[in-house]
Amino acid sequence: SSQMWQVGKRQASRAFSLYANIDILRPYFDVEPVQVRARLLESMIPVKMINFPQKIAGELYGPLMLVFTLVAILLHGMKTSDTIIREGTLMGTAIGTCFGYWLGVSSFMYFLAYLCNAQITMVQMLSLLGYGLFGHCITLFVTYNIHFHSLFYIFWLVVGGLSTLRMVAVLVSRTVGHTQRLILCGTLAALHMLFLLYLHFAYHKVVEGILDTLEGPNMPPFQRVARDIPVVSNAVLNTTAKAIALTL
Amino acid sequence: MSNFEQFHFDFYQSNTIDDQEEGCNSYGSNENFYGSRKNQSGDQAPDGAFALSDRPLSSQSYTGQILQPTCGPSTLSNLGYADGFDEEPPLLEELGINFEHIWQKTLTVLNPMKPADGSIMNETDLTGPMVFCLALGATLLLVGRKVHFGYVYGISAIGCLAMHALLNLMSVAGVSHGCVASVLGYCLLPMVILSSSAVVFSLRGIPGTLLALLIIGWCSLSASKIFTSALAMEGQQLLIAYPCALLYGLFALLTVF
Repeated sequence: SSQMWQVGKRQASRAFSLYANIDILRPYFDVEPVQVRARLLESMIPVKMINFPQKIAGELYGPLMLVFTLVAILLHGMKTSDTIIREGTLMGTAIGTCFGYWLGVSSFMYFLAYLCNAQITMVQMLSLLGYGLFGHCITLFVTYNIHFHSLFYIFWLVVGGLSTLRMVAVLVSRTVGHTQRLILCGTLAALHMLFLLYLHFAYHKVVEGILDTLEGPNMPPFQRVARDIPVVSNAVLNTTAKAIALTL
Repeated sequence: MSNFEQFHFDFYQSNTIDDQEEGCNSYGSNENFYGSRKNQSGDQAPDGAFALSDRPLSSQSYTGQILQPTCGPSTLSNLGYADGFDEEPPLLEELGINFEHIWQKTLTVLNPMKPADGSIMNETDLTGPMVFCLALGATLLLVGRKVHFGYVYGISAIGCLAMHALLNLMSVAGVSHGCVASVLGYCLLPMVILSSSAVVFSLRGIPGTLLALLIIGWCSLSASKIFTSALAMEGQQLLIAYPCALLYGLFALLTVF
């Protein structure tokens, strides 16, 4: 059995040496809390100077935490609205959506930037898009809890628009040529704003009637009707059962 | 009778040669050698084996699991177990469960304002965390949810892996998986308090949300306090506290909904 131990140790050390490659990412996580806060606030302020390249911090801690925050907000929104995902899990869907957006759109924009000759590296693109998700987090956090459609549209335009403008301005400052600037910035703006719209409408189905029984009569009534009939009957059964149990 | 003595000699002999690096798990592996070396001829000198009979006790000492500096062969003979193997350590010590340390760590978690001692997390102790996970699952059962043990273990496992990766990236000195799992498991205790309060009153609504936020803050403050003191990452406590808060927020989501 000592041989088995040796073999096992060798395999484990091989796996660990693979894992040791994680050290490449080490310099991107070397941040102070003050820096993170400053960058978060800056991500909502569009820069005015687009004539010389704007500095982008190549840091991955802030973007990673923002993506995880977005996952948490999505999960919370799905749970408060009793969204049922038919194929898959809530957690998997939330993680897949957020990480898919961050990594996928960053790669796509990096590819476009390569085509349009923009001065930006992959880490910088990841960082820029990650910090751009701060606006999404704020909007969704507010509108998943306060359910007014007009409020959402205002937040979408103002908050989403500000963070998109910041990203666009930074990209414009790093690209030459009008057509290239238009392609890059148009794509990024469209994708970013549409993602916020998608997140709001796809993950927060509001079911009329259930909210009234759970949270009392102080919530404003809604015009939207439930799409899934089994969900409604299931939830109605559950609520009546809970109400009966409470009165016992 | 002579066969029995032969086995005895082989027993001690194999112990000293092969188990030098095994430390406290040598008792279990001795059984294997006992079986495999049954047919060896008695080439070893008998008095050599007798002289070596003290060595198995020290190589069987359990310094790996419990930090008890004064434990040695002399204290073992004082334990006096009547059934045959005098040198067998007590079960709890052999398993590495030290109630005093568990209690100390629990007190550290329960009082987030008390500065943590960095050395208490040197030993990987998963007993306390396991107890707290089971307690969380049990209180969730009491609240009336579906059986959620799988979710608790799954979220714990993935959360430990993610925190381990993040801490290794952010700190100069690395951490082991066991240390991260141990700390995160201990700081789950306030979450058990939250789910027990869910038995008494429903957590949906403003008071429930506020209580959940308070408990999440408590858990993440304790965890980040222990991590920063163990890894000497002063000034970055908030940066560690935030991912911990996200992880415990998931547990709170499980408890509330």
